Amino acid sequence: MNTLTLKNVAYQYEGANKLVLKGVNAEFSSGKIYTIVGKSGAGKSTLLALIAGLDVCTEGEIIYKDTNLMELDRDDYRAKSIGVIFQSFNLLTNATGIENILLSMSISGNQEKNKKEYAYALLEKVGIDRETADRKVLKLSGGEQQRIGIARALSHNPDIVIADEPTGNLDSDTEAAVLNILTSLAHDEGKCVIIVTHSKKVTSIADEVWGINDGKLLFVKHS
Amino acid sequence: MYIFVNALKNIGRNKGRNILIGTIILVLITVSIVSLCINNTTRSIIDDYKSRFGSEVTIAPDMTKAMSMTDIMSGERPTIKRITSQQYLDFAKSQYLKESVITAVTGVAGDGIKAVDEDNNSNVVGGAVFSVSGSSSSSDSEDYVMPTMNLIGNKWDEFNDGFRKLIDGEMPINENECIISKDLADLNSLKVGDKIKLKSSIISIENNEQTVKTKYVELEITGIYFDAAEEYTSQFKISSLNRRNEILTTIDTMFKNFGNIMGITAKYYLKNPSMLKDFEAELRAQGLDEYYLVSTDEAGYQKVVGPVEGLKKISLTFMIIVLIFGAVILVLLSSIAVRERKYEIGVLRAMGMKKKKVALGLWSEMLIITAICLIIGFGVGSLAAQPVCDTLLSGQIESAKAAAQQSGMQFGIALGGPMKNELVPLEQVDISVGTDTIIEIAVIALLLASLASIAAISKVTEYEPIKILMERN
Repeated sequence: MNTLTLKNVAYQYEGANKLVLKGVNAEFSSGKIYTIVGKSGAGKSTLLALIAGLDVCTEGEIIYKDTNLMELDRDDYRAKSIGVIFQSFNLLTNATGIENILLSMSISGNQEKNKKEYAYALLEKVGIDRETADRKVLKLSGGEQQRIGIARALSHNPDIVIADEPTGNLDSDTEAAVLNILTSLAHDEGKCVIIVTHSKKVTSIADEVWGINDGKLLFVKHS
Repeated sequence: MYIFVNALKNIGRNKGRNILIGTIILVLITVSIVSLCINNTTRSIIDDYKSRFGSEVTIAPDMTKAMSMTDIMSGERPTIKRITSQQYLDFAKSQYLKESVITAVTGVAGDGIKAVDEDNNSNVVGGAVFSVSGSSSSSDSEDYVMPTMNLIGNKWDEFNDGFRKLIDGEMPINENECIISKDLADLNSLKVGDKIKLKSSIISIENNEQTVKTKYVELEITGIYFDAAEEYTSQFKISSLNRRNEILTTIDTMFKNFGNIMGITAKYYLKNPSMLKDFEAELRAQGLDEYYLVSTDEAGYQKVVGPVEGLKKISLTFMIIVLIFGAVILVLLSSIAVRERKYEIGVLRAMGMKKKKVALGLWSEMLIITAICLIIGFGVGSLAAQPVCDTLLSGQIESAKAAAQQSGMQFGIALGGPMKNELVPLEQVDISVGTDTIIEIAVIALLLASLASIAAISKVTEYEPIKILMERN
């Protein structure tokens, strides 16, 4: 069964006279990594925002496990079903790393008994030790913030993980580590991982590569 | 729960902004506490005085009106019709009264008993008889009996005040029962159960002829009282003015034996001071002469409570002004603060936090800040209330004094009225923090917190997470 299905999705920004996305059709399944490539401004991030439930499409429908996203409580969907790794991290900067994770767990209604230990373990998995986790986000490097962003996206054990240029701000070593995590998420934990990227290195780990051109999503290749 | 925990952490995370907001709230709460303490304390004082001054009705001849109606040419003056005993009793039945006390008194002389200090009377011999001069006496007229004692009906208040105490027997209940002072009892070797004979002259004028009749009454002593007050209240030491010679009996005994020949003092207490007009109309309908003035002691009330009322108004006005200005500043500050927090709200919304929970979080933060300010404000406000009150009150008293002097009136003298030197303005108000103050300040604090949050909450509902995050990016 497809985890996520896009049917004839179109999107137009308010006040714009041109569709950013038009007739987008795609199917995304669990256990696979998908990358979406395209020029800047092609609509990649917009597509991710629609998939993430941060915005609603102008036309068409996005179906998550047989249910139209429009019929779902999008707040609940974001809190429980999908994890988003933002290019610019979008963390609570005046909170610590661990507080970011704990808050995300609380919002999703995570029933873990020892939430703090679970959060530390999650951070450790993405290469953040306790000392770093207890520091304010503002005092962390870009790489560390990105890892915390990844940990936060995974904190509520979502079915879908989407990442917008997850390695755009990272050095090559950190980039490799992040890609390992994403690969493991799809192949070992059965998540559906969708990555928007410009990076060839990121594309190289994908099971399927899609491209956006002139507002249309086109299948490019299998890995 | 996590909303509250996160709100608590957020307060620490944004110290600078929250200290600023907290300072404004603290000032507002402190001012409100001071004002409400003053307001509530003065309100209870005013209510108390209002009920005391405003509810006791005085019925007295309106001399100003009577004099103004005097014919200058002929010198003819209007006759003020006396209020009869029956009228006093009828007035007491009014529905507007919560209480009435009618006291009757008549001068008497003992028939076989002597009054205390009777022998000291220089000009008067107890029980002595005199012919009445002036009008011609009718043939069956008796000699006038000079009173040496007072027979008083329904005068029990001094037993409650502690000046008098029943030391033997019991209070009179039935007609023709009485109690006497220990001094009078000792002087005449009287005890409970004994009977005493009293006499009083009744003067009537018919066809320009005076008739004096002697009225005899026999009363049974049911009790003996001890009187702790001074015997005389004036320098005239004649026996009829001696308190020890007061024979106390029931009002029924007085009405039965002395009817219209006794002096009556009536005190009427209104259920509410505002009922004065209705009560007066009722009295007029029952035949009260137009030359009687029906009033409460409004001047006395104003003199005593005026400065406190001024203090109450000032404190309340000050609080309202400060609250309005403070609330405006708070809303502006809160709007600016939430703009700074737009990104944070966007992140929370992107993480799936519902709008109402974000709003609840912001409200919780404001409530926590307000609660902290409330605790500090209570301490500061309670300490500051008394000195602030003293300062304001002294200013009010000075103003009132100046105003009184300007209008040619000294304190303690009412315009057109008697000297009332005992009426001095309240110079001390003991401020206390009552339950009503606590409830009111809690409501004000809650409103302040909510008002400050509304600005933030309204912004939250405007923001879509994607827009906030895109702006940020």
